Amino acid sequence: MFVGVTFLGCKASQQVSAKSGAQLWAENCQRCHNTPSPASFSPEQWETVGMHMQTRALITDEEKTKIVNFLKQ
Amino acid sequence: MKASKILLSLALYLFIYSPMGNYLFAQVTVVDSSLLDRVTELEKQAAYKKPGEDHFMVVGLTTIGWNFNKTTTTSGGVGQTLKTNSFPDDANYEFSPMFLWRHGSKFLMEFEPSFSSGAQLGVNWADVSYFACPGLIIRAGFFVLPFGIYNKRLSAGWIDKLATNPPTAGIPPASDFGIEVEGGFPFGNMKWNYDISLTNGNQLQADGEIQGIGSVDNNMNKTVTARLGLFPFSNSSLEIGASGQIGTVGDAGAPNQSAQSKAFAFDLNYVKLFSPILVNIKGQYNYVFVSKQDYINQNDSSIYTFSNKTTTGFGQISLRPTGASNNFVKNLEIAYRYSNFISPSGSMWGQKNNISEAALLYWLSWRTVLKCAYQWNNSNSTAIGSIGTTVQSNTLFIQFSIQL
Repeated sequence: MFVGVTFLGCKASQQVSAKSGAQLWAENCQRCHNTPSPASFSPEQWETVGMHMQTRALITDEEKTKIVNFLKQ
Repeated sequence: MKASKILLSLALYLFIYSPMGNYLFAQVTVVDSSLLDRVTELEKQAAYKKPGEDHFMVVGLTTIGWNFNKTTTTSGGVGQTLKTNSFPDDANYEFSPMFLWRHGSKFLMEFEPSFSSGAQLGVNWADVSYFACPGLIIRAGFFVLPFGIYNKRLSAGWIDKLATNPPTAGIPPASDFGIEVEGGFPFGNMKWNYDISLTNGNQLQADGEIQGIGSVDNNMNKTVTARLGLFPFSNSSLEIGASGQIGTVGDAGAPNQSAQSKAFAFDLNYVKLFSPILVNIKGQYNYVFVSKQDYINQNDSSIYTFSNKTTTGFGQISLRPTGASNNFVKNLEIAYRYSNFISPSGSMWGQKNNISEAALLYWLSWRTVLKCAYQWNNSNSTAIGSIGTTVQSNTLFIQFSIQL
């Protein structure tokens, strides 16, 4: 029950939720490698790369969605 | 006569505006057939590129270089020096394409074969992941274990700031067959992540070392490996993590069947821009312990035992002037890593090892790097039969790495 409450109770603060895809891209990608250029992959490829990166960096679902949408622009 | 003219005009009028008349008198458009062929081809290409359920892509990396090594081994007061060089840098080269198949937004298959050290063809990972719901990814197959951060995130040549892996990379074994659950969650201004795996585990060797058992387990006990990570700052600049691993390593039915291995790790990753310098600090400390066992000395068949404890760690810092106005300068980076490796005294493989490595990097693009690195590696043997033997190994590396 404790584990369930812990998982379900997790939510971002307003400050964090307001972050744009560009900001999340700059903050999270550079944790391991240089920030990727959006021109490196096509929009379809960014969807796939985004899933692969989520399994490695363990970014949240919202972060992944915002970052991929930014890179696809 | 007048009536016949009227009748003729009427007949002509009716004929022109009849379907037959429209057909005969319609404008004929002449179309260039090569233009039609070109339009058809473009329509096919557009249809192929339209988003679909499935998507396949190949990425991957190549690391290749050259090294020059001078090793001096001193035993019983007698020293021996050996000089070698290697192209393409035998211990570190790698050609690893990565195949990614995505089905919708729920399934991802990842497969990375690798041609690397010793001209060996191996597999870095082969797994399928199911993105079940926010914060839950379920994976099965052969994958990198969630122990520390180096193996899973930092080991690629185009990501690692230095030319070599630290000793933590193989202690304990990095990959295994099994299942895994992982995910990340926000927590106010912080965020956290979890990663838990259940795998076949490791096998205790005759000399007390442990190595991965592979796809067929040596006992009925599975190994659990888990990591918890925390980002205490809202800008994700700092992550701290703690990992653990526990499993039975003895072969079922063997005298050492109850042998158990426990491992712990702590890791830190800090990346922050102090304009104009990007500061990057990483570190990890591993502790591996195998329960007390008796071993047979292969040289004289005597029985011996020792405290089977291995510790290893590294700390590294790199600085890059990303805020510099000069394009050449902003792509330079300097890095330094100190590593330490202590294996059990009184074993066949006991040693105390200190490694320092410094590197100058030049980034040709965000994922292409040229490195010039120098490593000082000093070890002192605490192993049975070679206590006191020292090895001093200095190596120059020139390395190129690219992610495609």
